[in-house]
Amino acid sequence: MANYGMLINTKKCIGCYACRTACQRQNNLLPDEAFIRFEEREVGTYPSVRVEHVPLQCMHCEDAPCVSVCPTGAAKYGTDGIVEVDQGRCIGCLYCVAACPYQVRVRNSETGAVDKCRFCTVAAQDGTKMCSCVEACLTGCRIFGDLDDPDSEISKAIAETGATPIAGDLTKAKIYYVR
Amino acid sequence: MSENAITRRSFLAGSAGVAAVAAAGFTGFGAWQQAHADEEAGTGRTDAVHTLCNACSSKCGYTAYVVDGKLTKLIGDENNPNAEGHLCARGYGYSQIAYSKDRLTDPLKKNAQGKFEAITWDQAYAEIGEKVKAIIAENGPEAIGLVQDPRPSGSYYCNRFIAALGSPNTYTHGAACNLSKASGITQAIGTGDWVSDVANSQMTMFIGRSYCDGIRPSQVAALERAHENGAYIVMVDPRCNNSTVFADEWVPITPGTDLALVLAMSNVLIKNHLYDAEFVAANSVGFDDWAVAIEGCTPAWAEQLTGIPANTIESLAARFAEAAPAASIEPSWRGAYGCAYANSGETARAVALFNTLLGCWNQPGGALLTSGISAGKLDDPRFAAPPKVEAKKLGSEEYPLASASMGSAVYAGEMAKTGALKGMFFYYSNMAVGYSNPAYLADALSNLELMVVCDVQMSETAMLADYVLPETSYLERSELPEFGGGRVPYVALRSQVLDVIHPNTRSCDQIFTELAEACGVGEYFQFTQDELAEAQLNTVGLTLEGLRQVGTVQFPDKAFVYGKQPTFNTPAKKVQFTSEACAKAGLSPCPVWIEPQDPVGEGEYRLVGGKQAIMTHTQTANVPELMNIAEEYGLMRPWISVADAEALGIKDNDEIVVENDLHSGTSKVRVTERISPGVVYLPSHYGCTSPEQHTAYGKGLRIMDYVPFHIEPAYGSTMSQNTTVRIKKVGA
Repeated sequence: MANYGMLINTKKCIGCYACRTACQRQNNLLPDEAFIRFEEREVGTYPSVRVEHVPLQCMHCEDAPCVSVCPTGAAKYGTDGIVEVDQGRCIGCLYCVAACPYQVRVRNSETGAVDKCRFCTVAAQDGTKMCSCVEACLTGCRIFGDLDDPDSEISKAIAETGATPIAGDLTKAKIYYVR
Repeated sequence: MSENAITRRSFLAGSAGVAAVAAAGFTGFGAWQQAHADEEAGTGRTDAVHTLCNACSSKCGYTAYVVDGKLTKLIGDENNPNAEGHLCARGYGYSQIAYSKDRLTDPLKKNAQGKFEAITWDQAYAEIGEKVKAIIAENGPEAIGLVQDPRPSGSYYCNRFIAALGSPNTYTHGAACNLSKASGITQAIGTGDWVSDVANSQMTMFIGRSYCDGIRPSQVAALERAHENGAYIVMVDPRCNNSTVFADEWVPITPGTDLALVLAMSNVLIKNHLYDAEFVAANSVGFDDWAVAIEGCTPAWAEQLTGIPANTIESLAARFAEAAPAASIEPSWRGAYGCAYANSGETARAVALFNTLLGCWNQPGGALLTSGISAGKLDDPRFAAPPKVEAKKLGSEEYPLASASMGSAVYAGEMAKTGALKGMFFYYSNMAVGYSNPAYLADALSNLELMVVCDVQMSETAMLADYVLPETSYLERSELPEFGGGRVPYVALRSQVLDVIHPNTRSCDQIFTELAEACGVGEYFQFTQDELAEAQLNTVGLTLEGLRQVGTVQFPDKAFVYGKQPTFNTPAKKVQFTSEACAKAGLSPCPVWIEPQDPVGEGEYRLVGGKQAIMTHTQTANVPELMNIAEEYGLMRPWISVADAEALGIKDNDEIVVENDLHSGTSKVRVTERISPGVVYLPSHYGCTSPEQHTAYGKGLRIMDYVPFHIEPAYGSTMSQNTTVRIKKVGA
């Protein structure tokens, strides 16, 4: 059993949306269905200003509010620490959309069911290279791996950079940010 | 298709099937989808095809995965020097154009009521052919012209078609892109571009260009490496663009004054003897004249024009001198001086001369004069060029510095208005709203006796046409090999990925071959595209099938080598600080200050454009995946500075009026710290007025509506930012 997580280095994020559109192709999403959303922050004032882009997606929380509120069990903890949505069980009540503090759950406009980042780097492996957010990122912002393995690239990077979840201990989130 | 890789049973078994279905009568997308679903359900077959992206001109190589006939993953090819294993957001998103509900599906003819009606290809060819012959009979072949946004097959077939007709009048979109940059640089160093060795530099300055907004993945990677290597990266731009993530210094500048900055930095190097005198003495002519001519271009002088403090200019120049020769100004592309102002060509020339002062040509970390590879001579007489056209391209006398391979397409527009051009073809070009003032161009092009547009969707240019010819999307066709230059020259290939979706669409090579036949010059097109491709590739030791298997082949034996003595293909065979051609064209022999535009009046703001990472020109805005991003994140909004907003009582997301004497429109506004006061930024991709583009139509403002029709003296560019606007809150 692994405990998968991700690190996103916003210092290298250029806000180009490649991860979002790649994810749509990798996961065959609808044009209006995107698992990654972005916040942009201006730091400082003209002309001493810099910009920070922050990609957000399902944090695969260990204490996921979406799982707690889901009345049908569609939102659930899967293997390897990945939060899943059973599309067949989802009744589209949108409780989870309201409960998610990161606002990263999206409604499929064709089925009415809710979906979100699947950590597809694990789930959808078919032996070929992928256009997942991790592999598509032009600047290598993202590292994916096993948080429980102290020798994994992600564990080492978190230790080295002091990366933390985006909102502290709001939830036990598994995406770590370098900012 | 698709002998390339996709061997599954096909809806349309090759071109015979296309013809049969076409004859049966315009089978639509719905029928195709149904047939596809019936036939393919559940086979689960995956195929992978190497091909080239078409979302911008970089043409990155990637592997397209097709499952049950439908495009899924796109993976940038590691061996393609533009992609280096990656694609940008446009690459993924624009692939969906193949499945767009707004695709052109049949040849169209405009009827007496001004409405398009579907006609057969045979009718389209017959009528166009007849009209072309009549124009040539009455006015000579010089009355025919063509404008294209160059693509591998498009460039070849368009140019050959027009040359076969006997006309010199082929134009690219360059006049609204990189014409001034390439032409100005050519006057100085004899070639239109170089590669700044950003990753290995100690210092690189970018002027108006942002690798992270107009993305080529390999360039983003180089910039990131430069940053990691500790290079000092400077972004000169009125906007704090997205590349500033990897920059050490953002230098906001008054739009149109980049020339003053470059002249002043040159002045500092010369005055303080910080330039490479040995290199200059051995490799250039006219240096002394330039040194005298720019004696007055001091940092204090430039501060008044650029808004950049004199001491900043001094220290930038000093830093350059220290970093040289591992330093350069990046050549840019469209950016600030590709086609933007009355001084764009001269800015480009000055940038090349500044790099010469650094002695950085071909030095590690400097400016590299790389070379390319091209197909050798083809022995087969079928490929012989049509007879040489003796007439001069329209505009070549009026704008003598304009690169001959691009020409001034905006001048061609003017020639439509005067009647010198009577028939025009447009291939994948949305000139009518992308190259200059749309109202002027609509009027000018309405004078044509024949206007033919070939595209995949109903562009605003297509709306003006007499005939619209529907092309297959780039995923449904193969093209000629793309011969590319750079550090390691390469050849790459666009291969057909998908079966033809709309049976009555045709590929570029087929359309122009058949047009040529209809116009009486079919003798120059007695070959298939594959035959030509095979012959071209054989001259560089490759085969078509071999290239298809790998997508891109590099030629490491022809790779650039550091320290190679640079060759300058100018008349003097040296760097020319002075140019006779420039003097003859009415400019100063060496680049001196030229005012970019009329003075900015009370209450007026300089208007600047610029690319966003999700869009190219106006071609991508109708893709829902990409337009959704623009809408979700307010990317269509004009930017204004916090200082200007406060003065005008405007808050972020307020609805504002953007107007000048040419146009008025409203939009929500973005108030930001990331732009210089006095400047309004409008992204260059929006404001579509073609109702048949259902996703893009009516969204955002179109920058060209605010730009007057005018042409840069000597260079022939459109002066795309040579304008001002007024802004106010709606209701104020």
